[in-house]
Amino acid sequence: MFRTLALSLAFALPVPVLADQTGKILNDHVLSGFDELAVSSAALSNAAQESCVASSEPLRAAYATAFDAWTGVSHLRFGPTETDNRGFALAFWPDSRGSTPKTLSGLIADQDPVVDDPEAFQSVSIAGRGFYALEYLLFDDRLSALGDADYRCALVQAIARDIAGTSRAINQDWQTHYAELMQSPHKGGVYQTQAEVLQEFYKALDTGLQINADLRLGRPLGTFDKPRPKRAEAWRSGRSLRHVQVSLEHLRTLAALLAAGDAELAQSLDIKFEAALTKAAALDDPDFSGVATPAGRFRVETLQQTINDIRTEVTQLLGPTLGVSVGFNSLDGD
Amino acid sequence: MKSPFLAATALSLSMGSAALAADKADVLTNYANIAEAKYQDSLITAQRLQTAVGALVANPSAENLQAAKDAWLASRVPYQQTEVYRFGNAIVDEWEGKVNAWPLDEGLIDYVDASYGGLSDENEYAALNIVANPSFTLSGETIDAAKITPELLAETLHEADGIEANVATGYHAIEFLLWGQDLNGHGTGAGDRPWTDFAMGDDCTGGNCDRRGEYLKAATDLLVSDLEWMTAQWADGGAARNAVLVDENAGIVTIVTGMGSLSYGEQAGERMRLGLMLNDPEEEHDCFSDNTHNSHYYDGLGVQNLYLGEYVRVNGELVSGPALADLVAAVDADLDAEMRVKLATTMMALGRIKTAAESGFAYDQMLERGNAAGEALVMGGVNGLVDQTRSIQRITATLKLDNIDFEGSDSLDNPDAVFH
Repeated sequence: MFRTLALSLAFALPVPVLADQTGKILNDHVLSGFDELAVSSAALSNAAQESCVASSEPLRAAYATAFDAWTGVSHLRFGPTETDNRGFALAFWPDSRGSTPKTLSGLIADQDPVVDDPEAFQSVSIAGRGFYALEYLLFDDRLSALGDADYRCALVQAIARDIAGTSRAINQDWQTHYAELMQSPHKGGVYQTQAEVLQEFYKALDTGLQINADLRLGRPLGTFDKPRPKRAEAWRSGRSLRHVQVSLEHLRTLAALLAAGDAELAQSLDIKFEAALTKAAALDDPDFSGVATPAGRFRVETLQQTINDIRTEVTQLLGPTLGVSVGFNSLDGD
Repeated sequence: MKSPFLAATALSLSMGSAALAADKADVLTNYANIAEAKYQDSLITAQRLQTAVGALVANPSAENLQAAKDAWLASRVPYQQTEVYRFGNAIVDEWEGKVNAWPLDEGLIDYVDASYGGLSDENEYAALNIVANPSFTLSGETIDAAKITPELLAETLHEADGIEANVATGYHAIEFLLWGQDLNGHGTGAGDRPWTDFAMGDDCTGGNCDRRGEYLKAATDLLVSDLEWMTAQWADGGAARNAVLVDENAGIVTIVTGMGSLSYGEQAGERMRLGLMLNDPEEEHDCFSDNTHNSHYYDGLGVQNLYLGEYVRVNGELVSGPALADLVAAVDADLDAEMRVKLATTMMALGRIKTAAESGFAYDQMLERGNAAGEALVMGGVNGLVDQTRSIQRITATLKLDNIDFEGSDSLDNPDAVFH
């Protein structure tokens, strides 16, 4: 095995691009994912209009389904998701300065009438929009009871409606033109070559893995002396581990589609994803509060290592196989 | 152990690019020369700041406070142009947090307004107020801060409790001590610290004026010594210069990495787009002094002048030489033209922000909710930076830097780490 892999590396010959590889990625991964996001977000908005109290079971269930759908496509942050900063409007996290509770408290204290105007609501700070803001209103002890109940209800409905609108806009752009644009790279276009299109997907895969390892797991892990369980993503709703699982499932699909031209590599990657998902399933720590104990911390670290192993194989083998490199991503800053 | 196949490829690669090798060496030397000039200029202007701070603390007055502020603003012009050296050069990246860390929870350092909010979930020392407290407990340890020294700031207080927002040193700590909090929200106007915050005896406002002056001096002395150190790293025989020159291909990767990472993840993302999307005036990069428009502008200029290989020093002298642009033009003249146009477009967009800010439309106003003109200005800069990153990425492919990057990785020196 070592010999074969080394050979394919040495000559760095990109595998012949499968004629419909982009089309398959778009159909089996991208378009289906964004369609699901649009449908489940519309259902979330409907559920909020039906019942807006934080404890409403149908509302919480609709929220979970829609947040799952977003998590599954959250690594595809380019094109329609980047337009008008839609990705940020759906999902502002990590929020290291506590902007989300600050913004929500401000809106509630002022009884800001912006909630009555869907268009104006799009100009509200991203800290007061999207899935993470809604999580505070549904699951945070303080914010779910803050101020006037009627206003809070209107705010929940406004955020849910805004999520639905943003998701619909992303989906529309994908269906009406961006998928086509990615299938017809040309000089002077956003993508000039087929390699640039594949690089975009490859980069999304790598960045997605990095977000799981460095942010979703790395933030709560903190340091050995100072674990930071409250830095876990969506711990209030107990979804921290679930997001890693949902994300890995979708990244696994993308990895398989990207590696389709090299059966051996595809299989090797799939085994690695399987290992990570098995570890995640055995973790039994939905909000990562276990990082505060040495044993719990060790298990989260092990999962992190498994994800980093996938990432190593992606950058060392899949990239050269496709003839592309990671380039620059949004986590380059600090 | 290296595989023989890989060794053979490496050989053929290096032979194939032999014709360009001399050019690369010249490009890297010019890159290092510009770094040395930029850090030297940062040092010179920081020394002027040090003199002005000394005068302010010795003879507090409105004039001396203003002179110190002017010196700080001037010192940012060369420093911001060095930021493009940060990504890719490990020596710079590991060091830069000491001098330019941001954003900060300024309540760590000195008094803040009641609206500041005190300690947060993330940072229990966000309102520590070192100026007011000669002794306090930090992560379970009692800290003697009776004397505020550069060592205390650098070794004990900076990033206290492992929190990055606990910024005790560098430009932004000094900025806060000179300007104070900007309490104007989205309105015009910067922080408005009275000069009497440094006054002696009964004239002192804000309490502990002697300790505030001591803090300001210690932080400025530290900035100067940190910049001295970095300037030396880029001098002949310096570690940063050597690291770039030792491997030509890796050196070129370093240039491109710096340009792309600063443009995209850092400036377009973290600094500009996020602040806009949060409508938060505290998300300004230079929020106390309202100097953010310049901070962005000179960051962008640093990227452009590295591609073109030329830098105008603070004394007006031009440092120039062979540049990445020459390497790209030799392989693909169209791509070189594309890159130049995109860098110029970005500078035009960043110039618009600067022009508007200097004529009275402050950067915090641009961030206000529903301010369409401000949003268009800031997004113009973001879009330019995102777009130029695409071309920088194309340069990576055109100069075949992917393979090189790959070659330098651990996996080849230790194949077992990957092929198990």
